[in-house]
Amino acid sequence: MSKNTSSSEFRQLDVDQYNEDNFREEDGEVTLPAGIDEDTVINLLNKGEEQEALRLLLANAPSASKGCNEQAKDLALSLVMKVLLNKSINKTKMDEIIGQLDQSLLDVLMKYIYRGFENPSEGSSALLLQWHEKVFNVAGIGCIVRVLSDRKRV
Amino acid sequence: MTPVVVSRNEKERVLIEPSINSLRVSIAIKQADDIERILCHKFMRFLMMRADNFIILRRKPVEGYNISFLITNFHTEQMYKHKLVDFVIHFMEEIDKEISEMKLAVNARARECALEYLKRF
Repeated sequence: MSKNTSSSEFRQLDVDQYNEDNFREEDGEVTLPAGIDEDTVINLLNKGEEQEALRLLLANAPSASKGCNEQAKDLALSLVMKVLLNKSINKTKMDEIIGQLDQSLLDVLMKYIYRGFENPSEGSSALLLQWHEKVFNVAGIGCIVRVLSDRKRV
Repeated sequence: MTPVVVSRNEKERVLIEPSINSLRVSIAIKQADDIERILCHKFMRFLMMRADNFIILRRKPVEGYNISFLITNFHTEQMYKHKLVDFVIHFMEEIDKEISEMKLAVNARARECALEYLKRF
């Protein structure tokens, strides 16, 4: 005879662990490579090479799925913001910089722009909106959709 | 999918949370002073009490935001997509204006009341 109990303890069991085809995120530790740190970026900015600084950061962006490597991501974000919100970049310079980045780097840049929106500081959003407009003009809607759908976040 | 924030400044921002078959848009509206805060609160409450009639409106906003819309695949099947987009954009454009207009009206009324009242003395 089966017993009817009101026990609901079985609900605490994680039944998914018995599946064989569990989905696992496959990403190890991704960090900023050596040689790319605050000093390098500030040096490049002082020399007026925003283009080079941005390309370096975007090409080496530590992208991983959510909750992974948050520290490295935050560091990279702060460096990218330093470049993007630099006072010496005016509108024509923005066009120049964006024109020289290729499609995959533009996607990464767009991810950083959206992350920048999350923690607005004084006047940052207005600048980011300008960047967003310019990147959108070059890379189109696909760029935004890739930001939305990519599992790898920056 | 990745949720995305678009902000104009700390107070005014929009949170967009996409998923496979739906999309939640939450809006934080500019509230410069107490009057605007009260007006915004009352107005949003007014709208959300009638959420059934607005179809895509949620009854409770996401924490930290003033109003939330949830657009599901059923909505996009029933309604024109471009009109839905237009509605959300129009809402965002108008809400600031609406609230500052109401604020002016409240202030004007307060001034009028004070004038009438103080006439006796």
